[in-house]
Amino acid sequence: MDQFSRRNFLGAGFILGASTLFGKEAVKPIVTETKAFVPPMIAFPEKKPLKTISDRPPLLESSRDIFTKAITPNDEFFVRWHMPDIPTYIDLNTFRLEVKGSVANALSLSIDDLKSKFEPVEITSVLQCGGNSRKYFSGSGPATHGVQWGHGAMGCALWKGARLKDILNMAGVNATAKYVGVNGLEKPAIDETPKFFREMGIDEALTDELIVAYEMNGEDIPYLNGFPLKLIIPGHFSDSWVKMLSEITVMDEYRKSFFMDVAYTVPDNDCECVISGGDFEYKRKPIAQMKVKSVIGYPTPNSVIKKGSRIKVSGVAFDQGKGIKEVMISLDGGKSWSATELQKDYGKYAYRQWTFAWEPKIKGEYAIMVRAINRIGNIQPLPGDIGWNAGGYQYNAVDVVNVKIV
Amino acid sequence: MKINILIAGLLLTATTLFSQVAKPIEMPYVDYPIEAGDHDEVVQQYCLTCHSFGYMLNQGKKSRPYWTGTVAKMVNEFKAPIPKEDQQIIINYFVKHYGYEASSGH
Repeated sequence: MDQFSRRNFLGAGFILGASTLFGKEAVKPIVTETKAFVPPMIAFPEKKPLKTISDRPPLLESSRDIFTKAITPNDEFFVRWHMPDIPTYIDLNTFRLEVKGSVANALSLSIDDLKSKFEPVEITSVLQCGGNSRKYFSGSGPATHGVQWGHGAMGCALWKGARLKDILNMAGVNATAKYVGVNGLEKPAIDETPKFFREMGIDEALTDELIVAYEMNGEDIPYLNGFPLKLIIPGHFSDSWVKMLSEITVMDEYRKSFFMDVAYTVPDNDCECVISGGDFEYKRKPIAQMKVKSVIGYPTPNSVIKKGSRIKVSGVAFDQGKGIKEVMISLDGGKSWSATELQKDYGKYAYRQWTFAWEPKIKGEYAIMVRAINRIGNIQPLPGDIGWNAGGYQYNAVDVVNVKIV
Repeated sequence: MKINILIAGLLLTATTLFSQVAKPIEMPYVDYPIEAGDHDEVVQQYCLTCHSFGYMLNQGKKSRPYWTGTVAKMVNEFKAPIPKEDQQIIINYFVKHYGYEASSGH
């Protein structure tokens, strides 16, 4: 990359970064855990051992080294359920996807129906939890509520299924319909707990790209990733990518619900962050489109590397579906930046793998940083500049990995 | 009997192998460590109804306002049926074993 475009790249950062500078309150000292609990690595059904934050509901985090691959293997793909009561057996002879509500003909579809009565479509897309990377918010501001994920609550897979639009058209959506609600088979332990129910506008539901997937990377969807059906919403955080999808309800009216109106919401302002005061003093909006992001898969933090080794620094980048334009790397803590090499393009919703050949010649401590920009000029904020929200959603600041050259 | 039906199903749809449905999955049970004392039995009785102790260990050490807010969320949003006095026992337990005293902060 020449000097001129590098300057443009960094300049864009300053301009875009400025809008988020006000998002953070005065930082209070954080009391850090001296003996932090390390979750066990346990192999769940169809999974390699993953960081087991919880067994009930299962919260399994992928390790950082999966980010050296553009496609995440099914057995290393992260797992996140909301409710403790998950069926341990799905009988495909009786399983049906119900399509009901404000439609001309309610449908009850078997998996075979979905495979035989609708055109199969495929899309490669990133699946990222809204709270992914949440723990890094505590590096630059107050710790946030929720599961303290590292970067491992995301993956990228090839999804195959039927278009949601085709299913809705078969049912015949009424002219009065305004919303589509979706839910799966997971249930709370007590009846009064809000059900995991998600909604979207009818226009969004009728776009081409949403699919009801029955395959992931050429196989049945792994049980813990939502077998036998999962809703795919490319470019969006995974909050509405309902697992074990069992009901699609077309509605004339919006239905207020905890998981739409309280959880997974951020301040409804430009930076989607807290500028002053408390988070819930703001009007809310549900998180939706993902934000440009890149992470380092190799080397991993605290790696010790021999001077003169030729190593391939690598990772992945993605955004909301505009496409990654460039991923820059810094080996000196952000003072200077170089271009990485973008690898194969699997589509605008997929991971774009990047690599950078590095032959460290001087011993010492290094902070490797990467920063992605997409085709519409969205750029990752530096860690100190990211807008803060109490739920810890949408973290996308520049990733930093410290290594030692010996 | 169910297995026989499934095998028949597999033969009929030979192009797709539903390996997952051959039998129920068995989920591992993880025995997360829980600090004893200060009415940990109250904590276990209510909290473990809906989720493992891994959720709390994952939070790291947090302030009294943080744990108070978390318990309030469980009661108000998730409708955990925890009486007032037991809510206070739970908050005190977490501040003592998984937190610190502070009037504000996280």
